[in-house]
Amino acid sequence: MKLEIGNIHVKDVVLGSENSFADGVLTIDKEAAISYLKGEDDHITDLDIVIAHPGDDTRIVPVIETIEPRVRMDGRTLFPGVTGDVVPAGDGELKALKDCCVTVVGKEWGSFGDGVIDMGGEGAKHTRWSEIINICLVGDTDEEFERHEQQKCNHALRWAGHRFAEWLGKIVKDVEAEDTETYVFDPILKRDAARNELPNVAIVLQPQSQMEALGYNDLWYGWDMNKFLPTYVSPTEVFDGAIISGSFMPASSKWSTYEFQNFPLIKELYKHDGVDYNFVGVIMSNLNVALEQKERSAIMVRDMAINLGVDYAIVTEEGYGNPDTDYVRCQVVLEDAGIGVVGVSNESDGRTGVGQPLVVLDEKLNALVSTGNVGELTELPACKTVIGNLEAMNRDGMSGSWGYDEVLGKSARDDGSIIMEDNNWFCGDHISGLSLKTMKEF
Amino acid sequence: MPKSVICYINQFFAGVGGEEKAGIEPYIVEGTLGPTMAIDKALKDANVTYTIVCGDNFMGSNTEEAVDRIIKMIEDKPMDAFVAGPAFQAGRYTVACGAICKAVQEKFHVPAVTSFNEETPGVDMYKKDVVIFKGGNSAAKMRKDVPKMIGYLNKVLAGEPTLGADAEGYFARGMRKEVFLENKHENTAAARGVDMLLKKIKGEPYQTELVIPKRDVVPIADPIADLSKATVALVTSGGIVPVDNPDRIQSASATRWGRYDISKLDALPNRASNGFKTIHAGYDPAAADADPNVCVPVDAMRAYEKEGKLGHLHEYFYSTVGTGTTEGEAARMASEMIPFLKEGHVDGIILTST
Repeated sequence: MKLEIGNIHVKDVVLGSENSFADGVLTIDKEAAISYLKGEDDHITDLDIVIAHPGDDTRIVPVIETIEPRVRMDGRTLFPGVTGDVVPAGDGELKALKDCCVTVVGKEWGSFGDGVIDMGGEGAKHTRWSEIINICLVGDTDEEFERHEQQKCNHALRWAGHRFAEWLGKIVKDVEAEDTETYVFDPILKRDAARNELPNVAIVLQPQSQMEALGYNDLWYGWDMNKFLPTYVSPTEVFDGAIISGSFMPASSKWSTYEFQNFPLIKELYKHDGVDYNFVGVIMSNLNVALEQKERSAIMVRDMAINLGVDYAIVTEEGYGNPDTDYVRCQVVLEDAGIGVVGVSNESDGRTGVGQPLVVLDEKLNALVSTGNVGELTELPACKTVIGNLEAMNRDGMSGSWGYDEVLGKSARDDGSIIMEDNNWFCGDHISGLSLKTMKEF
Repeated sequence: MPKSVICYINQFFAGVGGEEKAGIEPYIVEGTLGPTMAIDKALKDANVTYTIVCGDNFMGSNTEEAVDRIIKMIEDKPMDAFVAGPAFQAGRYTVACGAICKAVQEKFHVPAVTSFNEETPGVDMYKKDVVIFKGGNSAAKMRKDVPKMIGYLNKVLAGEPTLGADAEGYFARGMRKEVFLENKHENTAAARGVDMLLKKIKGEPYQTELVIPKRDVVPIADPIADLSKATVALVTSGGIVPVDNPDRIQSASATRWGRYDISKLDALPNRASNGFKTIHAGYDPAAADADPNVCVPVDAMRAYEKEGKLGHLHEYFYSTVGTGTTEGEAARMASEMIPFLKEGHVDGIILTST
């Protein structure tokens, strides 16, 4: 497979009355966008588009999803099984609007998996979304069945976000790319002798699939990953929209769709491919909750790795807590099979930092990258502008924020200042590899 | 205004005397004394305002009283930080420094620091609670150990960020915090992860960002071939002791243990009948106070003895408290019990917890 992504760098995004791209400025016909997205889904009752720039004194909450705007040059849908038919992904040409993202925001209502982004000030360092232009799609829906639920599918808004990313991408279909990223993934049984002599490396992804009810988990070609078994896939499929993020899991531990499209650990693996090792692809696993399901997935990952001839692997999980058992188990069975592992995840050491970092520990985990502590507290002043609704932090059961605490008060205070756990930064621990955080003993 | 630091040293460093003076009671002097002069010099915007002296034996055998008296001596004095030692490799002195630092920190909420050599008992007992610098093995290292410890304290007093246990040179407390790295590609988790992978492939050294503590697993013993001829002992971490707790075993983070004669007992009499109770602070004592045999089953063992299932119940049971007790302390106490158990020709032990 060969995936070519033509990058178009966006210097600014403005709202106007027609779509255009000139001199790095993307102009969006706001009314046309809203009318298209509403027309695609009757459940959307309210929709607005707001631009947030790096450095703005702006807080965005509740953030549901981020997506990179792109277009497939052959006209196939950007997210197979989501925004269109189930069609192959991972091969062909794309154009991507770089340095910006579609940010899906609840106008009124948040849920467990939704998070916070600060574009400026001290809070900006907590997510890397603050470094790019956020094209915020702010909306409400008539999905009354989940209005007051802590767990929301957020189907209408998430799907609107994916459609919007594709709609934006089409604006630059004919714009010449400034640079092109090419990802080649050759059939592993037909590689040349030089490559075959190198150690074989794979990456095991454990995307979120904990919800037994369907509609909340990550989707693989539109298929709910709770009903999925570990599968061998091409890294280019991950980059090309075969997988989208879900709505479950505390925000800082999530992998958004933008992160799948640009999965930093996979991109990094490509850099040394063919020189230091032979990158043999992705073993896509999951994070179901029952012990038998965990064991089955671990066994299948190990067997695939053995049969592929994998010598070394990276294992990474979209989550913490219960998923740590899958993360640890998978590393243990691979190490037991003689496959050297590096694990990448965040920790949950509690607010004082003295808690056990992972739910289970095993001495066989000997090479771990730590991307943050979900329990660490942050207190920040008000921002001049709020996109969305701050009150969602107090009211809607967002992970890492609360409406009442006898010592700390509520998370979103009346003066606009906030106090919350790291848990609530949208993808804040950037486990996919963007994280600039590590953990140290103090 | 310069900040105030109060120091703690033992009788030896105060120049009072050695072992023969180790029983002296705590007292306080204004300003510096002996090594606290070096501490005063190393402090940036702070001075040593008082120095407390206490004999190691007095602190060791009357810890609670000594701590109380020292707290009373300083509670009316301004204090921004507390420094004990350095204690180098002096075992009892390290335990004293740890105990007083922990107490001062809890009572006055000011930072307390100390410094010991890693071969001392104070390290395992107090490293979770107190910032203990990795010190030398003798007072000759004073010139190295004081600046390290006080350099860190200067930063804390100035409200400046500190660098973490390894970089500062103190024992890890099991307290982990997030650190934001400079915004460049090689600092991303992706680059760090693949770099670690490359080193693993090439067999080069690398540093995991989360060290998994080694578990000291003790293999399960072989079964006793004939229990009807065996002597079995009861050992507990459940804190069952005679009601007056004659060995003054602590209710948490125990360092002491006791053994109690049961050779004449068919069952342990309870607290109400002036027999045995639990002093363990980690569980509801009601059931064990009402019937200590639920924790140390002397009654059941006697029944087995009578049935002939069990040869003989060892004449003593052994007790300490398991809550908050470090593995190191537990191992030491076990090694102190073992000679008694061997002397009693014990073939097997039932270890009861809570």
